[in-house]
Amino acid sequence: MANQAEYALDMQGIDLYYGYVRALSEINLNVRPGECIALLGDNGAGKSTLLKVISGAHRPTNGTIKVHGREVEFHSPRDSANAGIEMVYQDLALVDAQDTATNLLLGREILRKGILGMMGFLDRKAMKEEAKREVANLGVKIDTLTRPVEMLSGGQRQGVALARSAVRVSKKAEGILLLDEPTAALGYEQKVMVEQMIKRMTANNIAVVLVTHDLPLAFSTANRMVVLNRSRKVADVETAKTNNDEIVGWITGARPAMENL
Amino acid sequence: MRKLDSLSLLIFARSWGIVILFALLWGAFSIWGFPIFGTFTNFSVILQGASISTIFAASIAMGVFSGALDLSVPGTAALASVILAKCLLSGVNVWAAFAIALAVSVVVGLINSFFTLRGLNPLAVTIGTLSITSGTAALITTGPPLYGFTGLDFIATNRYFGLPAMFYVVMIVYIIGTVFLTQTRGGARFLAAGGNAEALRRSGVNANLYKVLGFVLSGLLAGVAGIVTTAYTTQGNPAAATDSLFTGLTAVALSGISLAGGRGSLPKVLVGSLVIAQITSILNIKNIEPFWGIVITGALLIGALYLELTIQKQVSKRVVQTKSKTPPPAPNTPSAALNAATTQKGA
Repeated sequence: MANQAEYALDMQGIDLYYGYVRALSEINLNVRPGECIALLGDNGAGKSTLLKVISGAHRPTNGTIKVHGREVEFHSPRDSANAGIEMVYQDLALVDAQDTATNLLLGREILRKGILGMMGFLDRKAMKEEAKREVANLGVKIDTLTRPVEMLSGGQRQGVALARSAVRVSKKAEGILLLDEPTAALGYEQKVMVEQMIKRMTANNIAVVLVTHDLPLAFSTANRMVVLNRSRKVADVETAKTNNDEIVGWITGARPAMENL
Repeated sequence: MRKLDSLSLLIFARSWGIVILFALLWGAFSIWGFPIFGTFTNFSVILQGASISTIFAASIAMGVFSGALDLSVPGTAALASVILAKCLLSGVNVWAAFAIALAVSVVVGLINSFFTLRGLNPLAVTIGTLSITSGTAALITTGPPLYGFTGLDFIATNRYFGLPAMFYVVMIVYIIGTVFLTQTRGGARFLAAGGNAEALRRSGVNANLYKVLGFVLSGLLAGVAGIVTTAYTTQGNPAAATDSLFTGLTAVALSGISLAGGRGSLPKVLVGSLVIAQITSILNIKNIEPFWGIVITGALLIGALYLELTIQKQVSKRVVQTKSKTPPPAPNTPSAALNAATTQKGA
């Protein structure tokens, strides 16, 4: 078994109460660099809540979180982002009226050289080139980078949002990428694209936590399956050692929880 | 590809509709108002008449772009106006008086943003500051307008190269504003904050800073409008010119944007203002009751917004249609080969 520092993310004994309601109960979860885990479960099982704990949106009532062996305490999503964790939200958060390059490079715009640059003038051409390169690296297909993103299809918008987080997470050494239902409302082709993007991320030694209802996606991308049922972890198993029926059994609660979790 | 063509046509209409409308009205009015309307002299008159309302329109537009409708603009302008007049009457240097009037306008913007960022509705906050600013302006003058100062002709009625000074003020405001919005990082983030502040926040940028900037720019330009009005009318008038709010807002709506924020182009707002000025001009020339102008402005506002909404719906409908039509694959069909390749790594 790997020692502590080998994990990109290591959570121990996470509890979270909403008043009297226990949303998460004694959850242990870890991800290694370059590994993708699928976080599965029915609606209300706690997977989105757990994702929010990792992204810093919620603070756990009990438990410790370690990032690359160092214990951390997140007070806001910004803290988590500073620790190298990037989250792609379901609502994407794109600026509709702006083009792909602007959206992709939001917060890290490229300025012109010289005095104009000091005055904050943008180098649109360089931004377009950079966006083109980043998008190509991720294997995302986008018709035109100069079109406002509101004019793109759902899959392409998803691609822009994913690419934005993916690029940012790649800039950090051994980042952690959190994906919340990345393929909800996507067509077949776009799903394949997301699948490939996740594989590229893990190949670049990025740890990926994937929350999804899409079992085929989980099976094709994740190294390990983690199933939550009514706020508890009921399964944590290597993808190669399980199958669809077992997973569905854990999700629905028809199958008893694994031991030694 | 026919779908895409009608899509581009709609986008074209949204992008250039206001310029086309301006040209069509110009042609129609030139015939209807022959021989007066189509002359250069009349164009110059329209420009002069529209100058102040175009600055008001820029002020409203900056607020709308950043995602907030700033209703305090006329009050801020009135306050700047009487402060400028009061300063000049007490012998303050012209430039120092400008600086004081503009600083007060910026403070109004800061107050607006302070309460809005704490979660109050911007409409309610700016109506409040509209009342406070125009009330304060009236308190300063004790009611009637302030007269008797000189030395402001150089930014109002003096002519340079045949055009009134106000025209140059308008040009400076619109050129600087356009360069800021389209060419700079600040402008890009400003528009992003209006369109989706959450996106900006998640990108690690302080989105609230740009929300504040929206109110500050709106206030600053309202101050400029107040100064130019003072110079043009040679009086410091505490009465807030609320009609400037309607024409300004109509000009913004005519420029083909929804009022939801995050998008917009100042040159188109300028053309929008000129369209309204054209209508005022033709009503004058044809000796029609000027009240029709007010009626038409209101109708244009609603009509422009409705048209924008219709186009927006059509555009999103067509974009959805171009999405992949493949149904989601049945469960239990993961790509097994890829699966086997990836599972080995973590093991």
